[in-house]
Amino acid sequence: MEIRTEQFVEIAKKELKNARNKQFLSVLPLAITISRPRSMQSFPDPEAANEYGRAVRAEAVAGMPELLEEFEKNALANGAKIVWAKTAEEANAFVLNLAKERGIQYVTKGKSMITEEMGLNDVLQESGIEPFESDLGEFIAQQLHKPPFHIVGPALNIPVEEISDLFIAKADMKEPTTDPVKLGYAARLYLRDKFHHLAMGITGVNMAVAETGSIINVENEGNIRMNKSSPKIQVSIMSLEKVVPTMADAMHMIRLLCRNCTGQKLSAYISIDSGPKKSDEVDGPEELYIIILDNGRSEIYQDIQAREALRCIRCGACLAACPVYCKIGGYPYGWAYSGPMGQVLNPLLLGLEKTQDLYHACTLCGACKSICPAGIDHPKMFLYYRVQEANSDKKAAGGFITNKTAKFFDLWRWGTTRAWRWKMAVKTARPFVNRYAKDGTINKTIKPVEGWFRTRNLPAMARKTFHERWAEINKKVTSDQ
Amino acid sequence: MSQSAREEILAKLKAAPKAKPAGRPSMPPLTELSWDPDQLIANFMANLTAQTGVVHRVKDEIDAKAKLAEIAAEEGLTTVIVSTDAVVAPLNLTEWGKEKGIKVLTAKDYTDRDAYKDAVFMEAQAGITGVDYAIAESGTIGLIHDKDQPRLVSVAPITHIAILPVERLRPTYERVTDIVFADKSNLPSQFTFTTGPSMTGDIQGGQFKGMHGPRKLIIILMG
Ligand code: SF4
Repeated sequence: MEIRTEQFVEIAKKELKNARNKQFLSVLPLAITISRPRSMQSFPDPEAANEYGRAVRAEAVAGMPELLEEFEKNALANGAKIVWAKTAEEANAFVLNLAKERGIQYVTKGKSMITEEMGLNDVLQESGIEPFESDLGEFIAQQLHKPPFHIVGPALNIPVEEISDLFIAKADMKEPTTDPVKLGYAARLYLRDKFHHLAMGITGVNMAVAETGSIINVENEGNIRMNKSSPKIQVSIMSLEKVVPTMADAMHMIRLLCRNCTGQKLSAYISIDSGPKKSDEVDGPEELYIIILDNGRSEIYQDIQAREALRCIRCGACLAACPVYCKIGGYPYGWAYSGPMGQVLNPLLLGLEKTQDLYHACTLCGACKSICPAGIDHPKMFLYYRVQEANSDKKAAGGFITNKTAKFFDLWRWGTTRAWRWKMAVKTARPFVNRYAKDGTINKTIKPVEGWFRTRNLPAMARKTFHERWAEINKKVTSDQ
Repeated sequence: MSQSAREEILAKLKAAPKAKPAGRPSMPPLTELSWDPDQLIANFMANLTAQTGVVHRVKDEIDAKAKLAEIAAEEGLTTVIVSTDAVVAPLNLTEWGKEKGIKVLTAKDYTDRDAYKDAVFMEAQAGITGVDYAIAESGTIGLIHDKDQPRLVSVAPITHIAILPVERLRPTYERVTDIVFADKSNLPSQFTFTTGPSMTGDIQGGQFKGMHGPRKLIIILMG
């Protein structure tokens, strides 16, 4: 998947003008502010349920190495094959080789963010193995070559007319239609044939249970169940942080995940695999490969603060809660992960240099933090990245902080660390600042700070500073006495 | 790559500074645990119906079969595939099918996996299964997949009819997983929870049922 995080501002500007996305985004927070709290209310004590979930995630991240070992041991005992991969390239190469070895012509995939992160589709495609996304939204996004608009509903914003044209061109649909039900049905028929003759299915993993060596998938469509039932080979890919201690922990996290994700008590399908099919079973995989992918996470893990990002369970609640996401949608974030969770994860996975705009595109309002069932403090993370940025070696980072900004702050420091400099600066700056004052207010000024006045006015500055006036008043009072 | 990747990743994780999490609060109370049998049934039905599942209550196996026939007539079923699990097997649905003029397939009719897949994908208009455990807290049915409960029977045909003996109803997920995952040396290869039909809201947020799995989920609650 192409990484476009550096074009954040550019894409965001374009998206702000996209009327259709805007209309869609204007109803999204409404939908989520109604359905999410309502479903959370089905807990007798929603806050306690959240707190418990946050504690489970904290524990899972703290004990990650031991939990992974326990998971591996139990999964092996169940008969699964475990493959560790340090990088996306290693994981992609493994899947590709396996597919080639077994003479696979096409694969179907369940929606999984980790394979987006890996760019697995491109790798398979280049080698002539056709990957079919089978989640409806993901299928549409894939066929249109668009990044996911929303992590839960990747193609929510695509107009029906466009989908209709697409399905006629690519999914054997005969007649154009704008009826979502007919469109969905066309996709069903097309992908059903793929499932029927499927030899290898690829899925992500929502949770991996250390205690039992089981992997869990959560979905509404049934495509993941197809991927895990029809083919003889199943490849399920998980990143390190998917592991949780016990089955009971997984159940509680699933309660939170579904409520936060789609406002349901439970998604239509939860499937829990413990090993491949048994020899007397007629369907299910003969071989179950579980790829445990690092891809930078063990490095993130070295830093206790950064590590907090690994608590995320990808529920998507923070997206709809975010006032920025709700204006610009998912495209500007430029990669697999969007919204506040993308702003937290992308800088760690791709580097601060490439994602500067992401962690700055935030007012630190904290809406995301207040609802996150995994206990991530997004604003704290953004501040953490900003501090690192400010402390970084500017030259080494290669224009990491723009020269203008750097010079400005150097001057600022020089001016503010001595009282006499400050006083002098404040005095000499007055006439400049007041140059554009009109009837006692300033509503424009010169570059580079003119933007600041687009939405605000300042009262014109008094001719004398407070210090000067104080000195005068003092003198007057003393002489009067 | 495998061995060295494994060692490297684990070594790196273990060498990282240790953080001590604050410790867990106690598990928040689950009111479901105090439900009496009637409340269990009422809540199961209400939750499942909210997810557009359909529930019929019958008193015994004879009535269950009569209900099945009724549903088959309503839905126009001529070919169904059935599981052979401990709930469905005693109903002897093959016999029932003969009486009603409905072709009843089972996975055991096929020695070849592909032929079975052809039947379950192309021929069967409905899959009929038993339910191992059901959960009142969300109106969910749980199926242990094994040789008598093939996976595709409950997901490939456009209609899923599940027979649920009332004594298999439990209040919460944990009450079920505690049983299903008790014997670590012999875990089911797959265990699934189903709550309502297959669905998606991926096109403009409009709800559409039967995306990949069944469009209808019909539960016959027996006893
Ligand atoms: S950061 Fe929190 S709210 Fe956002 S997707 Fe992850 S778990 Fe959900």
